[in-house]
Amino acid sequence: MCGICGCGEPPSPRHTHTHEHESRRVAVEESLLAENDRSARALAASLRARGIDAIGLVGGPGAGKTTLLEATLARLGEPGADAVVEGDCASDLDAARMRRAGARVTQVETGSLCHLDAHLVGHALDALDLTAVRRLWIENVGNLVCPAAFACGEARRVVLISSAEGDDKPEKYPAILAGADLLVLSKSDLIPHVDFDVTRCLERAHQVAPGLPALVLSARTGEGMAAWLSWVHDGPAAAQVT
Amino acid sequence: MHEAKLCLRLLAVADVHRVRAGADRITALRLEVGDLSGVSPEALARAFPICAAGSAADGALLRIEHAAGRDLRLADMEVI
Repeated sequence: MCGICGCGEPPSPRHTHTHEHESRRVAVEESLLAENDRSARALAASLRARGIDAIGLVGGPGAGKTTLLEATLARLGEPGADAVVEGDCASDLDAARMRRAGARVTQVETGSLCHLDAHLVGHALDALDLTAVRRLWIENVGNLVCPAAFACGEARRVVLISSAEGDDKPEKYPAILAGADLLVLSKSDLIPHVDFDVTRCLERAHQVAPGLPALVLSARTGEGMAAWLSWVHDGPAAAQVT
Repeated sequence: MHEAKLCLRLLAVADVHRVRAGADRITALRLEVGDLSGVSPEALARAFPICAAGSAADGALLRIEHAAGRDLRLADMEVI
């Protein structure tokens, strides 16, 4: 089958056949992402109305999303205030970690789907008792590509890039940064051991997302965690461009 | 990658407009793909004929145009 148009003719590097039909043109001008955007806005509004601050975490597999969340819950020390939606292709390993950290949690196993979306998160919340919850964490599937296009109902979105991943990630995955409210450079304790240049990484990030606030932190050593907790409590104004 | 899912969404949106236009078939679609949409045009082009098989857009020509920004938009289409 022709891979360019699906016309049933054998593949050809030059698309030489014509498509002459007595057809008429219909103007559409409709976004394919609009339905999810609408669902995400409605979900965000309903969470806001219940006094819940929804924070999305996105980043590649192993960027440290779950570890940051564990360290955050331990430091916040507010039992019952936090709920977590965990997105992973398979397993409930992260949900078990969150439960041990004291959060109410629901795990979304996405199967082969590479991202969470507002619809999935909305249904996941049906399984969560949000009574007295003040913060909802939405940890996306580990992926720097696909979550960019799908808002999940969060009021703020954090992108994590770990030092071990390399300082070129903003340049390679610009879309994910374009929709972020905060960039966290995680695993700062590894910086001396890997070729990661914080200044260069931030310069690259700001080419894509000018003025994006950023924090450098290590959930393991606690470096930068105070500034992070300020951001969690107080919102974007608390984060300085490092 | 989620291009197959997006193709199904594309076909659903297109079909609503086909029915609205009182047409039987969709013969071509023009899709604008934002450079920050996180979508691979090549993967979309590959998934489209598979997803469209058996639908009103079976055999339709998918024209993909690059655009600025984060959106993925069905600009227009041809129907008969």
